[in-house]
Amino acid sequence: MLGSMISSPERRCVAPLWVALFLLPGLLTACGPSEVAVKGQFPSPLMQKLPLNMGVWYEEDFRTHEFFDEAKGRAESGWIVKTGDAQLDMWNTLLPGMFRHLQHMPSRPQPGKMNPAVDAVLIPHIEELQYAIPAHTNVKVYEIWMRYRFELLSASGKPLGEWTMTAYGKTPTAFLQSDEAAVNLAAVVALRDAGANFATNFTRVPQVRDWLKQRRDRLAGGEQPARNPPTGRPVQNPTPDRAPLAETRQ
Amino acid sequence: MKPNLSLLSVFSAALLTGCVTSTVDEMVFNAPTEGVGEASVVILGRRHASDYETEPDFIECVGDYIAGRDKAIDVVGELEFVNALYPWFEPRTAPLYPQDIEKLLQQAPVAQKLLSLRTKYMIWIDGSTVRTDSAGSMTCGIGPGGAGCFGFGTWGNNSNYEATIWDFSNRAEVGRISATASGQSYMPAVVLPIPIIAPVQGTACDSVGDQLLQFLSSEY
Repeated sequence: MLGSMISSPERRCVAPLWVALFLLPGLLTACGPSEVAVKGQFPSPLMQKLPLNMGVWYEEDFRTHEFFDEAKGRAESGWIVKTGDAQLDMWNTLLPGMFRHLQHMPSRPQPGKMNPAVDAVLIPHIEELQYAIPAHTNVKVYEIWMRYRFELLSASGKPLGEWTMTAYGKTPTAFLQSDEAAVNLAAVVALRDAGANFATNFTRVPQVRDWLKQRRDRLAGGEQPARNPPTGRPVQNPTPDRAPLAETRQ
Repeated sequence: MKPNLSLLSVFSAALLTGCVTSTVDEMVFNAPTEGVGEASVVILGRRHASDYETEPDFIECVGDYIAGRDKAIDVVGELEFVNALYPWFEPRTAPLYPQDIEKLLQQAPVAQKLLSLRTKYMIWIDGSTVRTDSAGSMTCGIGPGGAGCFGFGTWGNNSNYEATIWDFSNRAEVGRISATASGQSYMPAVVLPIPIIAPVQGTACDSVGDQLLQFLSSEY
């Protein structure tokens, strides 16, 4: 009985403490920046595949890409938009649908390295990401804008082309939709737009067009294209400045 | 007792719905005489304007309206169609004129997919619903004794949509329908807020859906 009389008031003190501890993370979360880890589903492109054995390499910055915007005032919230996983999802769905063979490179191609036999290696980069929410613009759409930079290298690391491309996505405000869900949706639309822009304009990029023409001319001259997987084995490139088709023949 | 309760619910719902006025303009050049038969219809939203976007739920609403009233019409879902034909119907790449379809069909995989979907009519809907004005104020409070609101708010909504019908087999525009709707919603609050919402977008959806149904269905 005595025990219960002593322990009873203690319990009453402990209960509010638990409640406070339970509420504290919620309060701290409310003060932190809004965070969106972009998630979405991306369709495979419906198009005639280019007869290329293309390699792709994603840099660490690209694989883990995130955008951070600090709050400019007490009334505003900071934003963290993580697009890395969604970028990989989208490009890993798009590229196999665009090229006859796609190989993921073990590293960035460099001269004198053991590189898989591919016609060229594509390396995407995200140069810039901007966002706008209705609170910023007074327009009832959420927007995401991205600028990509692409490098096209030979299997030995020789630059074949470099160009930039923009992508844009927006989504209207909707009843009972949170800012985070709307920004996610806008980012998914922007990623789809990036895929559409890349897929429909890849062969129109002047440097790519020139490279494809040279490649066609070489093939017409009797050269063999890069061996297709799984028979294609890594080859060492002793002459890094030569064109990729010539490298793969050696 | 139960019928009384149902009547009361219906009566309350009618009372709590704001008034909407709508106008429909229709211009049809070449309507099918026997419906669309075995073919399918796809309804897509235009999304290339910078300051607004045709709402996906409006497109779904029009599709449901048509499919719900004439079961013979096969309406392909917008997302299903756009995903199946990615990347050719994204805002950046979508055809703006019926003649652009010809260019699309030059690509064998696209032509095959469209053939398998049996698409006869493609309907593009462009427009949005916007809030035109708002007035009033409302204060809500919470205390140990309870919570409540006091005040009055009102706002107007305006819907403006245009549907363009493309005949896929002839690569031609065969009809154009536009619908506008506007209405005023109210929310008085004495302890509890009572929303009296004008179904502006829903009315526009019904107007567009009804006109499209008359165009597509042999029964209407």
